[in-house]
Amino acid sequence: MQRRRFIQSMAALAAAGALPFSLSPAFAAVSVDDLPKLEGELTLYLGRGEGGLYENVLKAIEERNPGFKLRIRRGPTASLANAILAEAKAGVKRADLFWAVDSGAIGMVTAEGLAQPLPADLTGQLHENFQFSNWTPVTGRVRTIPFNTDRLKAEDIPDDIMALADSDFKIGWAPAYASFQSFVTAMRILKGDKVTSDWLRGINKHAKKYAGELGVVMAVERGEVDIGLANHYYSLRLKSGKPDARVDLAFTRNDAGCLVNASGILALTEGDLPINFIRYLLSKEVQSYLAEQAYEIPLVDGVKPPEGLPNLALISPPDVDLTKLADLRPTIDLMRNVGIL
Amino acid sequence: MNKWISRQHIISLLGAAALFTAQAALANGPIGEHVNHLSDNLDNYSKEVKWLNSEVEAMITRYHEGGVEAANPELLVENWESVQFHSAIETNYVPVYAAIWQGLFGVKGALEEQESEEEIRKQQRFFAESLWQGLGAVKLAAQYQDKGLTEHVKTTQENPTNSLEALDAIDNHLNRVVAKYAEKLPKEAVTIVHDTYLNLFEGVEGELIALDANLVEDLEKDFNVVLPQAIQNGASVDDVRKVVNTMQGKLDTAHALLEKSAEERKDVF
Repeated sequence: MQRRRFIQSMAALAAAGALPFSLSPAFAAVSVDDLPKLEGELTLYLGRGEGGLYENVLKAIEERNPGFKLRIRRGPTASLANAILAEAKAGVKRADLFWAVDSGAIGMVTAEGLAQPLPADLTGQLHENFQFSNWTPVTGRVRTIPFNTDRLKAEDIPDDIMALADSDFKIGWAPAYASFQSFVTAMRILKGDKVTSDWLRGINKHAKKYAGELGVVMAVERGEVDIGLANHYYSLRLKSGKPDARVDLAFTRNDAGCLVNASGILALTEGDLPINFIRYLLSKEVQSYLAEQAYEIPLVDGVKPPEGLPNLALISPPDVDLTKLADLRPTIDLMRNVGIL
Repeated sequence: MNKWISRQHIISLLGAAALFTAQAALANGPIGEHVNHLSDNLDNYSKEVKWLNSEVEAMITRYHEGGVEAANPELLVENWESVQFHSAIETNYVPVYAAIWQGLFGVKGALEEQESEEEIRKQQRFFAESLWQGLGAVKLAAQYQDKGLTEHVKTTQENPTNSLEALDAIDNHLNRVVAKYAEKLPKEAVTIVHDTYLNLFEGVEGELIALDANLVEDLEKDFNVVLPQAIQNGASVDDVRKVVNTMQGKLDTAHALLEKSAEERKDVF
């Protein structure tokens, strides 16, 4: 499978310390010093994400380009996607750009044919599996299994997410959390609704619910549960603030349990200005900033992954079209039917 | 002196204009444009406070003459919701707003439960004190408003653009939790706690945990266990306020840590 080969090749390179999370066919990341100056005004719809870090990036872009003004509308990603669809239906176009924390919301907009095509030299900065004709991922995150290191070793954790349902582990999860629901959506796509429902029922028998995934990781660290289901960066952040934290990460293989999802951006209006703005987000400097400060995974070539991300040779994500994660409604219905929401 | 009163005292002394923040989305009907012209309406608010107090006195007199039915303590809620001063204090200083509700229900409960005269008068005094404190807070807010030091009251909530703004919003939301609980709306209070956690604190804690994991752990427990349980178990308003005050102290620590971190953070370019 092409996707699997990509990840294996990537992992081998990363393990060798050569090219973390990227491959040579991609163009090298561009420095902002080599980007055109931005002149004019744009309106960005910004999905609520990494606290002030995305805001810092946007401010820095404006400060670097005195002739450029960015108007920002902020809100939950899904609400902004719905607003864009509603505005398009009404024949109104207020947003020039949409930066979503979740590629599913991107899919809602691209499916309606509202996104502008992007030039190949821009999308070519990302590896081919992250190249799309009308949107671009900005940074990535991977689903993980944080485990309590006092009780378990990485090899104790099954590398098949489905096996967890029949395990004896006490599991922490956050079913109401959007990233968890995207993961369940990926499982539905890969395995179907019945298998997913059975899996959720099985897990629910020995799971403890938390409001958010940082809460899950902290519960794992405290030993309240043995393992958890969470995005990678929560564990890295916890370990940054508490270096002796009793938590480490395990990964399943080639299933929804190690889904790589991404934040993404698309242009809604034609012209060079929105495209050049996107180039700034893919610049070496912005990608490094988000990797170092937000622990997100850079998706362009030549930028180091966040400190503390375990050996990428362990990661083998499934082949899922990220934009297909858009519609959470069937997933939420299914989770309600199973009784976990 | 409990903590909210000491906070109020500090405000009076220091004139901390920033604490008179514009609140959004009120539960008891439209805000009314008068809240953006406090000075012009101070006389009216004063009259309303006097009227509310005289109505309580009249109610207690009726109670003595004809019992609970004649007193009709339910009128206390109707009276309070009918005055413009209600939204003036709700939009300007939620901690006192909560105390007013607490005082109101203190009087109402004392009458309905046919408590001793001493208890009824004690609750009446508490209610009256909270109303006068509220009027004082509105007068102070009016001065700041006249000097252009307070924001225009908005009817929609803005999204915080960074973690420090989010912490300020959390502080306001927690005050509203006490207010809703004092209004005898525990479900609404718990909903605010959950929404505040998911929509605001969740966005902050990722950044905060890298600075002080134990502080995040404490606040996680406060948001998800301590505060909701205090409300659901029917703790007194004072006890719920104590939990909130403790959380606000932790949030102050978080604010200082995040501020320092923002100053030290490397530039994007």
